Amino acid sequence: MRTAKRIHKFFCQFAVTALLLMVASGANAAEPLAEIRTTVDEVLTLLRNKNLPHEARRQQLTAVIRPAFDFEVMSQWVLGTNWRKASPAERKRFADLFADLLEATYIGKIEAYTDERVEYTGQKLEGERAEVDTQVKTASADIPIRYKVFRKGERWLVYDVVIEEVSLVRNYRSTYDEIVRKEGFPGLFSRMEEKIRELKTPGAAS
Amino acid sequence: MKRTATSLVLLLFLLVLPAGLAVAAPDPAGDLPVTGEATSPFEEAFGEEEAPLKVWDPIEPVNRGIFWFNDKLYFYLLKPVARGLRVVPEPARVSVGNFFDNLASPVRFANDLLQGKLKDASDELARFVFNSTFGIAGLFDIAREQGGVSKKEEDFGQTLGHYGSGPGFYLVLPLFGPSNARDAVGRVGDYFLDPLPYALDNWELIGAKAVDKENDLSLDKDTYEGIKRDELDPYLFIRDAYAQRRQAQIAK
Repeated sequence: MRTAKRIHKFFCQFAVTALLLMVASGANAAEPLAEIRTTVDEVLTLLRNKNLPHEARRQQLTAVIRPAFDFEVMSQWVLGTNWRKASPAERKRFADLFADLLEATYIGKIEAYTDERVEYTGQKLEGERAEVDTQVKTASADIPIRYKVFRKGERWLVYDVVIEEVSLVRNYRSTYDEIVRKEGFPGLFSRMEEKIRELKTPGAAS
Repeated sequence: MKRTATSLVLLLFLLVLPAGLAVAAPDPAGDLPVTGEATSPFEEAFGEEEAPLKVWDPIEPVNRGIFWFNDKLYFYLLKPVARGLRVVPEPARVSVGNFFDNLASPVRFANDLLQGKLKDASDELARFVFNSTFGIAGLFDIAREQGGVSKKEEDFGQTLGHYGSGPGFYLVLPLFGPSNARDAVGRVGDYFLDPLPYALDNWELIGAKAVDKENDLSLDKDTYEGIKRDELDPYLFIRDAYAQRRQAQIAK
């Protein structure tokens, strides 16, 4: 009986210690560079697989990209001052459309470099944020692509992609701001929807 | 040659004039990011470094017209020629590109010196010496491949920016594409730093530049097609991308 109690106590302690250890390791999760490398490599593997049918490929790419990017944070950031003016329904609508559009854009941009070697050149940690530098080695030049990530729980999530010194999120922000100013949310939404339709049509990518 | 030089000085004057006005006129944003009030929780945390650029574009209708013209030029002339060039094996085209890059080395070197970047200047000089000799007249970029010293873009527009010149108004140049008042003046400055105009007559120069440009386009991964395909408004995308990139280049 006493032994049983002791064993029970031991297990409890063990469980608590294990839990603490898990939490502790979760707190400094994986290195951002390792996480980006996993995601980018998976994306490139899918893009290089020429046997996958178009629809299956898109679905699998979505499954890899969606959890690695924080589209909600990005869409707030992209809308900027317009975020406050937007109704909750408009915010939701925008976040959904933007996720679709950015995913397609990112795939489009990285697709051009499917056959090139990608090097992971370094990471810079700054508290809850980090930057991961990659370089695409083409025959004639090195193209720098930087992923800006922040920590959310156990993962490092991408909140911006900077290609050759051009931040996509900053770019969208000024572009969308101009469109909203001239055409309002309805104009922006219809343009986004039209673009997504175009991008999703197979064979349109040439 | 002499007449060309005179007309270029005139052109320079005409371009500096609006640039001067641009400096005098209240520039709503210039190169500096605008710090507005924070508008979302995310912005409060990330705002400082991520502020968008505001590009001053007072002649937008004109620029959009030239953008439209360049777009047609690209799809109906420049791109088909570049696509034809792709029958030439890629390594050969990379070498042609390297050759022209190497010839333009004095432009980068001079601008490094003008900005007091001695380390970059000596890198550039070393690249020129190695690539011109061991790289067989610049056909091979061995400084990058063997020495790990890559080309660093420098031009007179960056030099002007380095000394505090703002970008002035946004300008789309026929054929050359996105630019601004400062960088257009910079192009003229680079013309005088470039050795080619001194060695070639006008038609030879135009021919050489055309070959260089078409060759680059043949190596490009259809960047412009990608932008046209993905972006809601390619004009706005390129305008902002150009501003961001130039700001980053000048800051380096």
